[in-house]
Amino acid sequence: MRTVIRIVRLYFIQAWFSYRSLFAWSTPFNYFASKFGFPFFSMLLFMFMGKFAGFTDPTFIIIGNILLLPSLNGVSGISQTVGGERQFGALSYLLASPAPRAPLFLGRAFFHILDGLITLLVALPVAVFLLGMDISSINLGPVLVCVITLCITTNGIGFIMGTVTLLSRDGWMITSSLSIAFYMLIGVNFPVEHLPSFLQRVAYGLPMTRGIMAARLALSGARWNVIAPLIGGEIVVGLIYIIIGYASFRIVERASMRSGLLDTI
Amino acid sequence: MKRNLSLFIRQMDVQLRMRTLNLYSLLLWFIQPIVFSAVGMILSKAAGNATPDLVYTVIGGGIMGMWSGLVFTSTYDIRSDRREGTLELIVGSPTSLRKIESIRTFTNVAAGTISLVAAFLVAVLIYKFSLAQADILSAILSLLVILFGLWCMGVFLANLMVWSRLSTSIVEFIEMPVALLAGFMYPISILPTWMQEISSIFPIRWGLETLREAIQGTDLNEITLAKWGISIGISLIIYLLSRLLDRRVHDLIRVTGELSSI
Repeated sequence: MRTVIRIVRLYFIQAWFSYRSLFAWSTPFNYFASKFGFPFFSMLLFMFMGKFAGFTDPTFIIIGNILLLPSLNGVSGISQTVGGERQFGALSYLLASPAPRAPLFLGRAFFHILDGLITLLVALPVAVFLLGMDISSINLGPVLVCVITLCITTNGIGFIMGTVTLLSRDGWMITSSLSIAFYMLIGVNFPVEHLPSFLQRVAYGLPMTRGIMAARLALSGARWNVIAPLIGGEIVVGLIYIIIGYASFRIVERASMRSGLLDTI
Repeated sequence: MKRNLSLFIRQMDVQLRMRTLNLYSLLLWFIQPIVFSAVGMILSKAAGNATPDLVYTVIGGGIMGMWSGLVFTSTYDIRSDRREGTLELIVGSPTSLRKIESIRTFTNVAAGTISLVAAFLVAVLIYKFSLAQADILSAILSLLVILFGLWCMGVFLANLMVWSRLSTSIVEFIEMPVALLAGFMYPISILPTWMQEISSIFPIRWGLETLREAIQGTDLNEITLAKWGISIGISLIIYLLSRLLDRRVHDLIRVTGELSSI
């Protein structure tokens, strides 16, 4: 019992410290800018690109870009948190500590999931009021399930990228490239079916693709039986990424301990 | 003259090695433009167009790469000096910070043209975009006008961004909004009127319009000259503003000595 309490406490302490250093923001303005600056203006840019291409209704692009917001937490946030440990010189201590690894590692995701969820729940009404998004046929229950699932499943890539950040000082470059590639790959600005066939295979192998599809359907009123297969697929893909992320972190950690290189691995 | 040339070459060399050429620039010059161009092309295909507008989707992506690269190198130039503790040393040296920053920004702008060159090569070699109808002289002059505008904006941003530690976040409100308003990936005419009016304060917007007209074969005319004039005029105003900011930066370092503590 005591062990369980210790692990739960460690999980939440890790989560709390991770949250306090979220994106290393020091003022609300920094937080607001890093969360909404690039995503909001790039969404507008894609809206006008869509208009130029010939689409009169920007709803698809607006919804896609809003649903992408949790990836900012899940992918960039978590990998940045892990990379930050190295940058601020805390990683060696973390690796050398006897604390159990699961709460230590997974605890870094907790507030990112919450923060991503809150971001989405703020952005959706803003899109409705400011950009005139039509949600008259929304099916709220399934939408909430989709949104929560998305916020969790994005963390898998974040964990993997966190491990990459441990291995390479330029890991953030790969993370940033991946975050940019999401605009094209996972059905944010156009349906995945418009991608070349080999990229479609890549898209379906990534978290969020099915979650975004499911959320779109739920926003247009689809019922549980329609979105369930997509949500199921999203959970499976997300879990695979989380397991790979955790396993790769343990492998890299053991290698660093064995070689004594710690954060210089 | 010889001393100035030596300074120019040395500063460019240091700037390229220390700041401009890094993996993040690779992302900004190539990866981001490729993704944005690809989105533009797929959107065009999805809308049922037989071929995408290469001038906006591909070459526009190159312009975006140039701009993003400049924003993230120039805005961090003086801030990096402050962080690394070299800002006061530079100010104390006989060469003015203004001169050094001018050369650095020139290096950033010149290096960023690789993004535009790559976009042109992709358009011509892969998508067989024909330049047969293009007015090459006007295109080159338009490009020079754009580069001058970018240089003035780069010098201005480098000085502006040194004022507050919030500047890291302000960058988030500069890169995409300018790309959005200056019409990198689409014609300005599709923007709402109020946005078109705001976009007229950006010198790149005017240079881009003449560059596209030159590529599409519009001969040099009075309107082109007027747009060049507007672009150069706004660029000069921005440069003058950067001179004022530059003086304030100097005062903060020399008179009050508080810049590093901001």
